[in-house]
Amino acid sequence: MRFPDFRPALLVVLALAGAPPALAGAESVRNDIVSGLRERFPALAPADLAAGSAAFDPLRGAEAERNKPAPGAAEAIEAGRRIWTRKFPDRRSLAGCFPNGGRRIAATYPQYDARLKRVVTLETAINQCLKTHGQALLEAGDPDTMGVVLAYLRSLSEGQKLAVRVTSAQAEQRFEEGRRLYTTRMGQQNYACASCHLQHAGRYFGDVAIPAAVGSGAQWPFLRDGRAVTLQMRIRECLERMGAAPYPAGSDELAHLEYFLTYLSNGIPIRPNAWRPR
Amino acid sequence: MRRRTRFLAAALLLVAGPAWGQATQGSDLFANPDKGNCIACHQVPEGAGPAVRADVGPRLDSARLKGWDRARLRALLEDPQRGNPDTVMPPYGRHRLLDDREIERVIDYLHALP
Repeated sequence: MRFPDFRPALLVVLALAGAPPALAGAESVRNDIVSGLRERFPALAPADLAAGSAAFDPLRGAEAERNKPAPGAAEAIEAGRRIWTRKFPDRRSLAGCFPNGGRRIAATYPQYDARLKRVVTLETAINQCLKTHGQALLEAGDPDTMGVVLAYLRSLSEGQKLAVRVTSAQAEQRFEEGRRLYTTRMGQQNYACASCHLQHAGRYFGDVAIPAAVGSGAQWPFLRDGRAVTLQMRIRECLERMGAAPYPAGSDELAHLEYFLTYLSNGIPIRPNAWRPR
Repeated sequence: MRRRTRFLAAALLLVAGPAWGQATQGSDLFANPDKGNCIACHQVPEGAGPAVRADVGPRLDSARLKGWDRARLRALLEDPQRGNPDTVMPPYGRHRLLDDREIERVIDYLHALP
């Protein structure tokens, strides 16, 4: 008697059984982190956490209120708008590379691009456009070019709720890589990003209340001394403070960190160009 | 009588001076952002260092440090993760943030806290 060959069916069952847990990983990580913060800070909604230090420190909150709108924000947005709409020799522009001229697109970035097999941040997408049209790329770590462009571009999505997607095993791997980098101790100080922004969020480091990981993907760029500082620029500063060599501006490591952090902030409205002190 | 007082004062300075100087050096290391930067996480009694709202680590004073002899403090400053793998306190000795002499100065400072 011949037994029927179950192997193809078994493979399908295994594939189906394997896929859901992998895809559920990012959401499960996000739920754990968000509910942990909610338990510790029952008076704060996730959207409140986007205010950074000000969410925990009334003095900083009052200072932030006094600095609305942020000094230099209007100038940064206008400088970004000029770069965004400047015509290339082929008569195209950055605005032409994005749907709807870039309006209401920021909430879904970063996104995993299956064709490129990479996480694409807004910085990456902007430089891809410039490259396609034979233009010089913008330095991802420069507040005066990339910073102001993002100040403008994200202002076009102000109030939109972050909706970053992790919908494939490959995307899940990048999210997990971001989580791993975020929770790995590094540098001379031997801190992980999570040591401060998860483990000790809301506590005071010197005189500054430590911002929580949740929310950090929503309120950037911020204006410090009139300059537009992106999330990736801020992460690099943090790494330097930790005594670690920062990942290069525009690197995959920073993209993975941003992917992880922004996914944690899903559902929180984008509030760019707020004031932050030095 | 006056000569005797002066003599006593000079003798006291000779004895206490180096210890005070070491504690002062220790206080600089405790507060210096490029060195210990301990003040970023720990508050100290008023007058013993800069006033900050830091609360990542416990407030340090003589009561808190009771029972912390030099050897125990040295081991902690060398590598706090040995005793507590989850601590965020930097491994000052293991990562060469402070050299042996600087660690001793910080211990002097901590033992001089009111």
